[in-house]
Amino acid sequence: MDTTATVVVPRWKTALNMIINPGEVVKTQMGRVPWPYSLAVSGLSFTLFFMQTGLDLLRSGGIEASGVVLMTMLGLFYGTAGVALLAVMVWALAQAGERNITMGWSISAFALGYSATLVYALTGLLFSLAFGWKTAVAFGVTGVLWALRPTLFTIKQMSGERVAFSIALTTMCGALLLVGWSLLGKFGG
Amino acid sequence: MEMNLGYRDSVGTGTGAARKGRGFWPVYLCFLVFGAIVPFTRAEVRMTTALMSMSIALVVGWLAVNLLVMLLNAANRPLEESHRGFAREAVLTGMLFMIPFTVLAVLARFGLGWNAVMPFASAAIMTAAATAGTEVMKNGAAGIKNVMIPSFLAFVLSTGWMMLVGILP
Repeated sequence: MDTTATVVVPRWKTALNMIINPGEVVKTQMGRVPWPYSLAVSGLSFTLFFMQTGLDLLRSGGIEASGVVLMTMLGLFYGTAGVALLAVMVWALAQAGERNITMGWSISAFALGYSATLVYALTGLLFSLAFGWKTAVAFGVTGVLWALRPTLFTIKQMSGERVAFSIALTTMCGALLLVGWSLLGKFGG
Repeated sequence: MEMNLGYRDSVGTGTGAARKGRGFWPVYLCFLVFGAIVPFTRAEVRMTTALMSMSIALVVGWLAVNLLVMLLNAANRPLEESHRGFAREAVLTGMLFMIPFTVLAVLARFGLGWNAVMPFASAAIMTAAATAGTEVMKNGAAGIKNVMIPSFLAFVLSTGWMMLVGILP
């Protein structure tokens, strides 16, 4: 009997594990998740998040239906190009290359961290469409906040367990995302 | 010259001299800041609300720290005997992860003009508690209970905190 065979964790399970135990995922499972898969998770998360922002603005009379489509497209761009850019920036600042961490790994870990955002965004969209609630801040922003824990563990791993550095950079990433969302929301509106 | 800025200690174990003498003051400061922001989410900023809110925040902070240490010690008796003070160390490291949420809450309220502070506080306390559990597991404690117990405690405390903030004058 081969006792050394490794158990292959399905990717969807890895995405869910990223919410519950990100420390373990970034240490042992991220190498098996390709960056396009992770970017699909973050892209979908922000697409739905921005769509809710658009729907909120539509309900308050701030924009028309075409504005909602524009906001949704901005979300897709933000969740893919924006998150990838952020990951590359942190990869460079953490000098992760010196620890044999590739740029692809960095993008993948960063993007998969938005699994929690996806769960919140899906739930928020459900409430938005079913009950007509304004859900962008209550569900969307909360979802982005829940992504900070995986981000923290990813940066810790990339920076060689530097706690203070990880806290500072996670704060910066969170601030960039929230301010970016706020500015793009105004642009889209 | 070796750059060690931000490392726990030279070998990254978290048990070196760098950790000695570290207190919980940054954690309590985070709770205090959350308490101080709450009045600014109201239509009218009142001193009474501010004082009550900050007091509640500090009590929640004190409860979070001490109950976490107590529960993690109780759940890992053998580890407590071999590695005295492991729970306190883990809670200290874990609770430091409240800092990003606190800074973002300040940014959201005063930079972006949002009135939502408690989602930040709730996410902060839940994340910090779960991270404390993860830190305990790094020290050799086994079982998902080390993440579940802190998460449940954080859920109870953050819910109670939100309810108390809701009834503030």
